[in-house]
Amino acid sequence: MLLRDGLIRLLEAHGFEVVAAVGTGPDLLTELVTRRPDVAVVDVRLPPSYTDEGLRAALAARAEVPGLPVLVLSAYVERLYARELLADGHGGIGYLLKDRVSDLDEFVAAIRRVAAGGTALDPTVVAKLLDSRARVLPLDRLTPREREVLGQMAQGRSNAAIGAALFITEKAVAKHTNSIFAKLGLQSSEDDNRRVLAVLAYLDA
Amino acid sequence: MTATIRRTVAGALCVAATVAWLVTGRGVFWPRWVYFGVGMVLLGRLLLRRALRVPPGRRLWLALDAAACTLIGCADLSVWVLTGGGYFWPAWTLLGLVTIVGLHAWVVSRPPGARERELTERVATLTRSRRSAVDQQAAELKRIERDLHDGAQARLVSLSLALGLAGDLLRRDVDGAAQLLAEARATATAALDDLRTVTQSIHPAVLADRGLGDAVRALALDLAVPVTVTGDPPAQLGPAVQTAAYFAVAEALANVAKHSAATAASVTFDQGGDMLRIHVDDNGSGGADPGRGTGLRGIVGRLDAIDARLSVDSPVGGPTRVTVTIPIEPA
Repeated sequence: MLLRDGLIRLLEAHGFEVVAAVGTGPDLLTELVTRRPDVAVVDVRLPPSYTDEGLRAALAARAEVPGLPVLVLSAYVERLYARELLADGHGGIGYLLKDRVSDLDEFVAAIRRVAAGGTALDPTVVAKLLDSRARVLPLDRLTPREREVLGQMAQGRSNAAIGAALFITEKAVAKHTNSIFAKLGLQSSEDDNRRVLAVLAYLDA
Repeated sequence: MTATIRRTVAGALCVAATVAWLVTGRGVFWPRWVYFGVGMVLLGRLLLRRALRVPPGRRLWLALDAAACTLIGCADLSVWVLTGGGYFWPAWTLLGLVTIVGLHAWVVSRPPGARERELTERVATLTRSRRSAVDQQAAELKRIERDLHDGAQARLVSLSLALGLAGDLLRRDVDGAAQLLAEARATATAALDDLRTVTQSIHPAVLADRGLGDAVRALALDLAVPVTVTGDPPAQLGPAVQTAAYFAVAEALANVAKHSAATAASVTFDQGGDMLRIHVDDNGSGGADPGRGTGLRGIVGRLDAIDARLSVDSPVGGPTRVTVTIPIEPA
C-alpha cells in the first residue's frame, strides 16, 4: 500500500499516466488483460495469499497477451522466478529489488526499457548467475572486464549505457561483447533483448 | 495430627485401659488388646509412610504390598504371643505372605517386554528431541535478535541521524545536505540487505511462496555445482516438516559445494508408502563424516523434532549419498 501510493506519485511526476492501481492478484490479472497497459509494475507478493500472487498474475497475463511488458518488484530476487519470467522469450520483462526504487533515474529508465520490449534484471540476479556458473561453464575463460560487460549486458543495458557505466567507449564495449559472444559460441545481435535472452539461455542450460 | 499429640493419645489410651483394669478388680489382663490395637495402628502408619517414599510405578505397588504383608505378619505374631503361644499357627500365614511378596518381587524384577522397551525408548527420544527443539528455538531467536540489533536496527538509527542532519543543513549547505542524503540512501539499501539476509535465514521466501519442491529447485539454481531435481514432495507436508527438510537439503547441498569437489549433484524426492525419502547425491570425493561439523548436527536436531532421520553414505573416493527419511501422515 505504502509502496503503491509512492510509486503512483513517482510515476506521475515522471510523465507516466497511471491507468489502474489494484491490490490483489485476480484484480491485477483482469486489469492487465482488459486494459493492456504499455507497462505494468507488479509486486510479487499480493493478497489474498501473500505468496507469489503478483508473479503468477503477471505470468498468466503474459500467457494471454504475449509480450505484455511487466516490471516485477520484490523484496528479494530469485533466479527461479527470473527464469520463469524470461521463459516465454518475448522480452518486455523487468525483475528488480524494491530497493532499486530509491535510484529514481535508474528505476524510470528501467520502466521505459521494459515498456520498449527490453529487459531489466536486478544486478543481484545477474551477479548470482555469473557467480554460480562461473566455475563450471566456460565463463572462466572471460577476462574480468568481459565479465563486467556481460553482467551489464544481462541487466538489459545497451552498448552505449554499458560504456557510460564502465567509463569506456561504445566501440570498446562492442569489441568486448563480440569477444564474449565468440568465447561463449553465441551469434551476436544488435537487439538488446535478444542478447540478454541468449546470455540467460546459455547460463541456465 | 502432630507426633506429640499422637503419642499422647496413644499413651493416654494405654494408661486409661490399665487404670480401668486396676480399678475393676484385676481379672484377665484384657488391656493387652488395647496395647495391641494402638501398636498396630502406629506400625501400620509407619510402614505406609516408608512405602510411599518409593517413586510411582511398579516398585511402589511392590513396596505397598510388602508393607501390608509385614503388618499382617506382625499382627499374627502378636496375636500368637498375646494368646499365650502354643501351636505355632502363624507359620502358615507367614509362609503365605512371604510367597505373595516373593512372587510380586519376581514379577517386578523381570525385564520389560519388547513393546515396553520400545515405548520407554520412544519417551526418551521425545524428551530429548523436545528439549533440543526448545533449546534450538531459543538459540535461533537469540541469533535473530542479535542480527537485527547489530544490522538493520543500527543502520536505521544511523539513517535517521543522517536524515536529521541533512534537514538541518538543507538551508545552509545544500551540497552537504545532498551528500548526506546520498549516504542515507546507501544506508537504507544496506539495512534492506541486512533484513533480507535475516528473513531468508528464518524462512526462505520461495519456501513460503511455493513450498518445498520449488524452494529446493531455487536452491539448486544458486549452487555452483549443477544440480538436477527429480520428483516432487507430497502436497500434504506441514510447514514444520517442509522447513526442516528444506534446511537439511540446503545443508547437504552446501556441503557438496564446499567439500566434495563434485561436478554434478542431484536431489531426488522419493515417496514410498508412509515415508518420504529425499536423496542428495554427488559424484565428489566422498569421505563425509556426519559426526564432524556443526552444520549436520544442527540439522539432526531439527529433523529429530519431526521424527525424521538423516543417513550419510560416503565411502572415501565417493560417491556420497545423504538421505533424509521423513514419516508422512496419510493424506
